[in-house]
Amino acid sequence: MRQAPEEYTGKLRWPRLGQDVAVVAWPSFLVASVATMVCFGFIDPVLVGNDDYPPPAFQTRMTGYAVGFFFFWLIAALSSLMTLYLVRTAHPEPADEGTDDGTRSPE
Amino acid sequence: MTEAQAPVGGELYAARQKIYPREIKGRFQRLRVYAVFALLGLYYVLPWIRWGERQAVLFDLPARKFHIFSLTLWPQDFYFLTWLLIIAALALFFFTALAGRLFCGYACPQTVWTETFLWIERWVEGSRTQQMKLAKAPLSGEKLVRKGAKYFLWFAFALWTGFTFVGYFTPITELAGKLVAFSTGPWETFWVLFYGGATYVNAGFMREQVCKYMCPYARFQSAMFDKDTLIITYDEKRGEPRGARRKGADAKAKGLGDCVDCTVCVQVCPTGIDIRKGLQYECIACAACIDACDEVMEKVGYPKGLIRYDTQHGLEGKAKKVVRPRTIVYASLIAVLIAGFAYTITHRNVVAVDVIRDRNALFRELPGGMIENVYNVKILNKDGAAHDFAITADGIPGLQVDHGAPSVEVGPGEVQSVAVRLRVPRGELRGGSDIHFTIRTLDERALVATGRARFLAPTN
Ligand code: SF4
Ligand code: SF4
Repeated sequence: MRQAPEEYTGKLRWPRLGQDVAVVAWPSFLVASVATMVCFGFIDPVLVGNDDYPPPAFQTRMTGYAVGFFFFWLIAALSSLMTLYLVRTAHPEPADEGTDDGTRSPE
Repeated sequence: MTEAQAPVGGELYAARQKIYPREIKGRFQRLRVYAVFALLGLYYVLPWIRWGERQAVLFDLPARKFHIFSLTLWPQDFYFLTWLLIIAALALFFFTALAGRLFCGYACPQTVWTETFLWIERWVEGSRTQQMKLAKAPLSGEKLVRKGAKYFLWFAFALWTGFTFVGYFTPITELAGKLVAFSTGPWETFWVLFYGGATYVNAGFMREQVCKYMCPYARFQSAMFDKDTLIITYDEKRGEPRGARRKGADAKAKGLGDCVDCTVCVQVCPTGIDIRKGLQYECIACAACIDACDEVMEKVGYPKGLIRYDTQHGLEGKAKKVVRPRTIVYASLIAVLIAGFAYTITHRNVVAVDVIRDRNALFRELPGGMIENVYNVKILNKDGAAHDFAITADGIPGLQVDHGAPSVEVGPGEVQSVAVRLRVPRGELRGGSDIHFTIRTLDERALVATGRARFLAPTN
């Protein structure tokens, strides 16, 4: 029995929103993981801040690591988001706008 | 805008269609199954292995110590991790230059877990055709049971995966006890669910989409290819023009190539691409299409290898050069780095000292004309045995060291803080001076470490 390959054509992509979420969340997740490792490789979260009043979030190391990780993730995600926004909203290169007969479509 | 002008990217907005890869057997698929078992076996079993009193592999984050069998790594050993990452990156370059996306096809966690989820899916829902039929079928008792069973098994497997992950960071036997008693701490619960949830979503639903949209390696790997890289390709010269034929028919007479256009290679592809269109970045090099095509070729009585691992030079009929400057350079770099790594990690200094000045007072003037500074000296013993340490200091003439005992004992893998008083006759210095603390074990190994600090004295 043969299966028509047509089943696969065309609809294999994600919706735009899905792609956007993925390209923002995932790279920033990777960067945040590395940043967390490097940061807490050098800094012990329980020693952060004033000796007498350590910030409550850092009173146990595990909480400190987690807070650090999510902080890095947030920052990296914001940066990714901004990059994505700039790329998505940029005008295409003039060459891309050209039509087959060489004329440019009006804005 | 007319129909014809609609951008090709219009489908961007369409919902994604699920791919149902068809199951295939063959030598490469067998290899992949071994890889899955080896890697996942390692992952799930490793945290249960004991090493003396403790878990053999434990990244003890609360205590800031990494245990790997007999080795204990401290935050000060951080650079070893960097070193490892460099070796890993070079290995990736090496294997990519050698045979393309070997990593994707055989070792990437994304592939490995997706493969397991696919097995579960096939086990519960049956073959590709059965799965597609089930998806199209109206809601029925059987559909509910089968889908429910699949999601339940996925869920259980993902949960176990998340639990194992956390088991690398907190002792897994304790964690297991807490899990069955529903008394895991908030962060443990959170990370189990987080990692388990990520596994569930990535391997159950996103699958090849992760490779397509989220993986940086998938995008830049082609930059590491050259014309001698083994890649999975379709031999266009031999296969085209493709076309169906009756068994035993003379294809040459009809002007047909070897491809019988059965589309099996497309059906088995987990990323849903057609390898016959040439190398595409979606291809994760799983080699399913090779096995599938070989099977077909065997059935119709043609030689195998219409789809195969080959180099661009090979396809052009030139010699294949697996050993070439590029691979030699990568391989020797990796060898040197691994040797260096092994040497340093076995010869690293297993004792260390960290000196912090007491912050409460700059200095104290003692009766009898001495100036005293107080320090908190932290002695780290990364060795597997306990040691007695002597503490000395130098840098100023007449420096006296006092910490209330002749020596300090520090247990294996422990840190000991000692309050040390240094005294200097008043006339010896004004302002301040750099000094060095030295710790030395009192046994025949005489392990030594030094730490720098500042001694402060009145300026007049
Ligand atoms: S493309 Fe990326 S995520 Fe996909 S298998 Fe390869 S390395 Fe893994
Ligand atoms: S084209 Fe072949 S090797 Fe590439 S992903 Fe598809 S089945 Fe696997």
